[in-house]
Amino acid sequence: MLLPKFDYQAPKSLREACALLDEFGAKARLLAGGTDLLVNLKHKKLAPEQVISLNRIKGLDEAAAKKGKGISIGPLATAAYLAENELAQGPLQVLAEGAGRIGSPLIRNRATIGGNIVTARPASDLAPPLLVLGALLILKGKDGERELPVEKFFKGPGKTSIKPKEILSRIFIPEPDGPGAGAYLKLGSRKALEISLVNVASFIEVGADLSIKQARIALGAVAPVPVRAKTAEKFLKGKKPQGENDPLFREAARAAVQDASPITDHRGSAEYRQALIEILTARTLQSAYSRIMKKV
Amino acid sequence: MKKMMIMLKVNGQEFDLVIPVNKTLTQVLREDLRLTGTKQGCAVGDCGSCTVLLNGKPVNSCLILAVEVDGQEITTIEGLAVDGLHPIQQSFVEHGGIQCGFCTPGMILSAKALLDKNPTPSEPEIRAAISGNLCRCTGYQKIVESIAAVGKND
Repeated sequence: MLLPKFDYQAPKSLREACALLDEFGAKARLLAGGTDLLVNLKHKKLAPEQVISLNRIKGLDEAAAKKGKGISIGPLATAAYLAENELAQGPLQVLAEGAGRIGSPLIRNRATIGGNIVTARPASDLAPPLLVLGALLILKGKDGERELPVEKFFKGPGKTSIKPKEILSRIFIPEPDGPGAGAYLKLGSRKALEISLVNVASFIEVGADLSIKQARIALGAVAPVPVRAKTAEKFLKGKKPQGENDPLFREAARAAVQDASPITDHRGSAEYRQALIEILTARTLQSAYSRIMKKV
Repeated sequence: MKKMMIMLKVNGQEFDLVIPVNKTLTQVLREDLRLTGTKQGCAVGDCGSCTVLLNGKPVNSCLILAVEVDGQEITTIEGLAVDGLHPIQQSFVEHGGIQCGFCTPGMILSAKALLDKNPTPSEPEIRAAISGNLCRCTGYQKIVESIAAVGKND
């Protein structure tokens, strides 16, 4: 399979990239890891006149924590980097677990977090972790930048609120409000190169007495966009679990089923997906809470 | 078609090339450098037969534009056998890890990336490391045994 013809640009700064994008607009496509773009080009799903590579711009491929301020992640940070980075031991653990389940080791060495977000697949391995971490996306255009909560970003399969002339230039994870931990689980029929049948991320923040200040649960592959399980979150708020095996996690998981609208397709039936939402939600909540108890 | 001049460091040797911007790294390795040990299978990142090491890390060379890796270091299967077969290659021969051979270059490079980081991997670690390389002959067991046996005298 050959690539179609296109012109190639490799700007050295975000400013230059924004100027090029402003000039070419919808005729251009941005290239990050290429694991999605090159496949779409080969399948003739896309035929841009210009391919604008972001890979010559320095400083976009790393994550850094600022004490008390949260974590800033460059859009070109690869899945392998996120899965193995030292921040994966701390608050980014839930994101690292998602990153470690993308594609294969070969894909993870190239696929980027920015690419995973802007392609907006309903079964994305990174979207649910980013939702529960309350991530903010920085979208940069020629005339300035804006900040958007990741929750408002996804509009449908492959559809987002990014404008044709904007670049996702930064992903910002706010500092949790007190001790917190998360967990991510994905179910598919294989372990590698698999699109999730259902995936779930949870993140719990607790107060000094280990009662739940806030729980966030995000479900993937069970609606046109990754969704928060707000009924379940509301149920958990203010509760004080007696350890990770407290039945209230299972009760919350049952409530989460109402927050999704799965469909039947070749990967699985809607009923099977509903059953999985309950099981995976309960397990991520239990695992998140047990991680908190180990820390405090 | 726009062409660009790039330098690739392949198996320790530097090559200056002028190539069309829409050529993949697989194509440049196979067609321009005649290093046909790197295979083209699915061409969309599913099968891993195009695996090469880019700065030591295994990647699907079919999903990388050659112009994107200007100045970077690439190891192909041809770069492993310096004085006779590489120990991983030898182990594949001895333990029946090769049948038709099409996945072998990719398997061996993924194995090399693993063993460089972790010389004594467990079976699950081996299986995870080659999970992006598909083999339609062996059922994987002999490949896993070949990788596990590298550096061990048995």
